[in-house]
Amino acid sequence: MRTGTHSDYMRTLKLDSDELASRRRFFGIEEADLDRLRALRPLAERHMASIIEGFYFLLLEHPRTREFLNDPELVERLKGAQKRYFLGLFDGRCDLAYVEDRLRVGFIHERVGLPLKWYLGAYNRYLELTGKALREELGPEATTAAQLSLQKLVFFDTALAVDTYVAAQIDTVARHRAAVEELSTPVIRVFDRVLLLPLVGTIDSARAQSIMETVLRRVSDQEAKVMIIDIAGVAVVDTQVADHLLRATAAVRLLGAATILTGISPQVARTVVELGVDISSMHTRSRLADGIELALSLVGRKINVETRE
Amino acid sequence: MSASGIPVIRIRNTLLSAIQGDLSDQVAEAFQQHLLTRIEATGASGVLLDISALEIVDTYVARVLVDTAKMARLMGARTVLVGMRPEVAATLINMGNGLDGLETALNVDDGLDHLGTLRSG
Repeated sequence: MRTGTHSDYMRTLKLDSDELASRRRFFGIEEADLDRLRALRPLAERHMASIIEGFYFLLLEHPRTREFLNDPELVERLKGAQKRYFLGLFDGRCDLAYVEDRLRVGFIHERVGLPLKWYLGAYNRYLELTGKALREELGPEATTAAQLSLQKLVFFDTALAVDTYVAAQIDTVARHRAAVEELSTPVIRVFDRVLLLPLVGTIDSARAQSIMETVLRRVSDQEAKVMIIDIAGVAVVDTQVADHLLRATAAVRLLGAATILTGISPQVARTVVELGVDISSMHTRSRLADGIELALSLVGRKINVETRE
Repeated sequence: MSASGIPVIRIRNTLLSAIQGDLSDQVAEAFQQHLLTRIEATGASGVLLDISALEIVDTYVARVLVDTAKMARLMGARTVLVGMRPEVAATLINMGNGLDGLETALNVDDGLDHLGTLRSG
């Protein structure tokens, strides 16, 4: 699920007027550069069609980039967008609206899954074709000046594109982490006011903290009286893990609920005692079934065994 | 209503107080005084302290709560703390404060039930 838009990235990347001014200073983009580019707009318009064609020739010629352009209708639409982008370089402005527009371009490329290397490579072709057009019409000196101004803006754009890719990656990693965290604490309602949390894998400090938060939230939301934590699937139970479990138990008690620890193997029982950890404040059971029975008795229920004839 | 501004309501033989807002030194003292006076006057055997409105319970407030329960206990009333928020519980445990010795319940209903078992036990 994707929820971000390029405007979100404006915020993520903190692209405000201060940041814009700082970037412009660093890339050396001055009003003279923008004026120079604005003056070249008629030239850019004359050469636009052939530059865009040359640009797409490269993309369609290369097998790996061709994969992204298998739909002729898409190519036509992209050419339109590309023309607007190209002329944007000769608008003679470099403000926040410009930044947002450039960010959108990077965002779209990232979204269709175009690797950054193709993006940068294609940009190189862009400069090459534009340079050729400039040389055709201008003298050597004017060409150099125009190319320098253009180069500044192009690097400025590229930095934004790279930023967009990075922001998207960070976004993806954050969403994956959230998904993993959610899966790592699957709280199940086994009965009215009785919850079960089967823990599997390794418990480090970060996970322990997230377990505690989830457990407390669920106990509070569902007004649970008992939280059963089953640790049969926990790889290693050492002093730290035991401490995390004790803290979770203490916190659950503050809410007014009880914790039952189940799934304690002989190995774990030995370890805990040998480590000198005092878990006498917790209800503990070896088997989950016994834990559930104890939980039910704590909420005033009982499992009846019916003997059939 | 007392000088603390925190009402103490009697329900049969239980006193109920919902603590809201900041507990300054004076408020805490006035509240304790008022609560203990009410225990004396009503002969209540149980006290419910509802803290569901408290978003922050720092070390000072935690001590006030534990002390209040101890004082009530000396006068023959058992105290149950009810309605603590999950964030508050997590913060207290992270500060290493488990409010030892203080009874807890999820809400006022459970608190009344709990007082019932404490009285019979």
